[in-house]
Amino acid sequence: MNSMKRDKKDEEEGGGGGLFSSLDKTTVLQEARLFNETPVNPRKCTQILTKILYLLMQGEELGTREATDTFFAMTKLFQSKDIVLRRMVYLGIKELSTVAEDVIIVTSSLTKDMTGKEDLYRAAAIRALCSITDSSMLQSIERYMKQAIVDKSPSVSSAGLVSSLHLMASSGEIIRRWVNEAQEAANSDNMLVQYHAIGLLYAVRKTDRLAVIKLVSKYTSLAVRSPFATCMLIRIACRLMEDDPDNDSTYQDFLESCLRHKSEMVIYEAAHAIVNLKRTGARELSPAVSVLQLFCSSPKATLRFAAVRTLNKVAMRQPTAVTACNLDLENLISDSNRSVATLAITTLLKTGAESSIDRLMKQIASFVSEISDEFKVVVVQAIRALCVKFPRKHGVLMTFLSSLLREEGGLDYKAAIADTLITIIEENPEAKETGLAHLCEFIEDCEHTALAVRILHLLGKEGPRTNKPSRYIRFIYNRVILENACVRAAAVSALARFGALVDELTTNILVLLCRCEMDSDDEVRDRAAYYRCILENQDRSLSSHFILNEFQEGEGEPREGMLMTEKKPSAVTKTRQETLAQQLLNIPALAALPLGQLFKSSMPTDLTESETEYVVQCIKHVFPQHVVLQFECRNTLPDQLLENVRISLEIPAGFELVSEIPCPRLEYNTPGNVYSCIRLPDDPQLAMEGTFEATMKFVVKDCDPNTGLPDSDYGYDDEYIVRNDPEVYFLFPLRFLEYFWFYLQLEEVEVATGDFLVKVIEGDFQSAWDGLGEENQVTETFELPYKSLEEAVTKIVKFLSLHPSERSDRVQAGKTTHTLYLSVASLRFLLTSFL
Amino acid sequence: MGGLLSYFKSLFGSREMRILILGLDGAGKTTILYRQVSPEILVGEVVTTIPTIGFNVEQVTYKNLKFQVWDLGGQTSIRPYWRCYYSNTDAVIYVVDSADRDRIGISKQELVSMLEEEELRGAVLVVLANKQDLSGAMSVAEVHQALGLDALRARTFQIFKTSATKGEGLDTAMEWLANALTNKK
Repeated sequence: MNSMKRDKKDEEEGGGGGLFSSLDKTTVLQEARLFNETPVNPRKCTQILTKILYLLMQGEELGTREATDTFFAMTKLFQSKDIVLRRMVYLGIKELSTVAEDVIIVTSSLTKDMTGKEDLYRAAAIRALCSITDSSMLQSIERYMKQAIVDKSPSVSSAGLVSSLHLMASSGEIIRRWVNEAQEAANSDNMLVQYHAIGLLYAVRKTDRLAVIKLVSKYTSLAVRSPFATCMLIRIACRLMEDDPDNDSTYQDFLESCLRHKSEMVIYEAAHAIVNLKRTGARELSPAVSVLQLFCSSPKATLRFAAVRTLNKVAMRQPTAVTACNLDLENLISDSNRSVATLAITTLLKTGAESSIDRLMKQIASFVSEISDEFKVVVVQAIRALCVKFPRKHGVLMTFLSSLLREEGGLDYKAAIADTLITIIEENPEAKETGLAHLCEFIEDCEHTALAVRILHLLGKEGPRTNKPSRYIRFIYNRVILENACVRAAAVSALARFGALVDELTTNILVLLCRCEMDSDDEVRDRAAYYRCILENQDRSLSSHFILNEFQEGEGEPREGMLMTEKKPSAVTKTRQETLAQQLLNIPALAALPLGQLFKSSMPTDLTESETEYVVQCIKHVFPQHVVLQFECRNTLPDQLLENVRISLEIPAGFELVSEIPCPRLEYNTPGNVYSCIRLPDDPQLAMEGTFEATMKFVVKDCDPNTGLPDSDYGYDDEYIVRNDPEVYFLFPLRFLEYFWFYLQLEEVEVATGDFLVKVIEGDFQSAWDGLGEENQVTETFELPYKSLEEAVTKIVKFLSLHPSERSDRVQAGKTTHTLYLSVASLRFLLTSFL
Repeated sequence: MGGLLSYFKSLFGSREMRILILGLDGAGKTTILYRQVSPEILVGEVVTTIPTIGFNVEQVTYKNLKFQVWDLGGQTSIRPYWRCYYSNTDAVIYVVDSADRDRIGISKQELVSMLEEEELRGAVLVVLANKQDLSGAMSVAEVHQALGLDALRARTFQIFKTSATKGEGLDTAMEWLANALTNKK
């Protein structure tokens, strides 16, 4: 009677969570000694195990020694037949398997449980067994694992499959042998077993594209019963579609058939997949959207949420496709679930007409304080899209944004708002003044240094061009007084820009800069002194070069480090150029040639695969009349010595090979250079582009890998002849076994327009362009094979290796025309391209 | 009072006896264990086992006595863990492959170092000269000699010849062990 009372009391305490609230690792491990006692007390031991697991889950870490001791004590519990205790032991084994040593000691016991009669043990035993097994031990249990996979009990089969999946990472080779069993399991009637089996099959074949295609086509045609498996097939099919955009429409048909599936999960997965596919057009989109529309009126909150969230994404790219759902979305605004409501409103904002904006904004304002930051960002993004779409509404939207800025929020959220304001200012000249005013107000009380710096930079850039630049000076100078060093430095830079661009303010700015020179921080003082010096000179070109240009260069770079602006990227490239020029001059044969000033050196391009035996890279040095091709060769075979390495080029018409400098000796891992000097065509009308077919010729000698000395004087035969050039046969008898020449076909060397152009950083593109005058402008229209504007812009910039001015490399999504400003040094022309 | 308690104890079969089966790998430990677990296996019927990685633990009832039998793996890599299971042990069944003349020396070393363990001081020892059915197997006397059992003092022990696969000799050994354990109490 007495003991029963006590038991009851114990249980009550345990139920209240008091048992676990103040656990101490050492005490619990002490208690674990109870495991060693015979007979085992299952109830107590289960409790102790629970405590240990609880501690581990709380992030408590056991040392190797502690873990091993506990583990071995735990193995004693195998003598008990108590089912609950045994299952707790499995969990304990899994948790400790990574920390404790010699965990294989339970292999036999677990193997017995996994093959035994007690079904309650089997699945859990498989999972525990796989957690203590490494690839060397796996072979000894392979037979049992195969049996488990095809076991008729679904839980055992699933456990086998999922454990195999986990083991894929460490012993993929062995798991690959179980494919037949997995295939059998994939035909199972059980939903989970089928899902896990197909998952394992996919994991095994993941690296083999063809096998994956076969897998998908097999199971899509079989009409898989498990909705989980179908969802997975949808995902795999999508991946295949993304990898290979040109494939046929079988997968598309499969996705569309899934839209008519019985299971909501599958329907949603298919709709989601279609929406997210890059190649989805309006035609493919409409069935997916109508399915999502149905979900919007579902009684299940999760479905509504999923549908609205996906529609929201669609609305960003193709708002017209979602217009049909507007009515359903209106109904969701009053949804009791705030997340659903937020998404509904923001979707409507993207799809709705201009007239409904005021109403919607009011509705958002009513609950914006109740939602989390993450959703606030969604709202802000929606507003951003709106501003682009309806520039006239900027007043309402900006007021709303600035009210959001005043409220509490994390950096991401605030950055999103500031970003949006900045976009509005850049896009919409009418909104500039109000926008800047809002931002000024924001930096008065901004706790995020990064944001403040960005905004100050923007003020420096946009402020001087407004009607009343002087009003911003106060805001900026306030920063110099109140903020940390980073912000102060940014503020000084912004001030300098005002001074350089607005003549009537220059004297005032100089006074302010003078005061900044008394700053406690080095960087701030340096900047102030630097700018004051330039401004005092009153020289327009000087200030435009050193204040305005430098400004543009610094942008886009993270401004965390204070020294950022001092290290000008142009200076870095110059040193590289100089070192390369110096290197070339050091070669007597090249120095003797009348090359002139080095104009530009290209970045190295690979002429071989990077993992071949001999690696060749090419750097193009462009001189006024010549191109010097520098082939940097590297021999990656330690037991070989290459001699007399030459690169023979096929010179296209118009070009002329002036001289060639072979590399006499190429040792293991020491790069050697071969140079070819080519004279460019004199006729300027002739395109300066040319393609040179390159072949590397060399003699191979065996050498001692340790000393690098050749074994004999003779070269030897090798299968490395890539090109069956007739010359091989001639050279062979001529040189009488003395040498064997080898030929290695390299990638072609291309000399293209881009090599003759150097990017210059043009601070004020417009004035530079206008300064060139009409007579120097040529307009040509090109048809470019690019699908999207973004792609075209990046490709053009890369092809011409130019510098985009005025940040014109950023493309607004959804626009059909885009102006790209590029500035070039070589021929001193500026390029505007309308796409 | 005490007499009454011991009477009840014996009536309810007292506490389980803890027995370890030890020996080199391939000596026949697991076979012996499962012969005892399921006595219904006919004499002459063959029991197949796989090398034990770790241990097997089973409950065996013999003549109203309950034994908890631990069969520990005999591979070189597992022998170091034997000691983890020594505490509270009532008896050790040491199995020797009588046909394996090459490794009898190793077997002796393992036996000697095991018997030196403090935790096994009071444990009864049964040595089984197993695999007597194989031709060329050492006789009981030879095994006795090779293991140096003459040197054993102050230990209750006995040696038996057995053939685990055939199930011969095990009964005699178990009977002796049961008696020895009952008397010891």
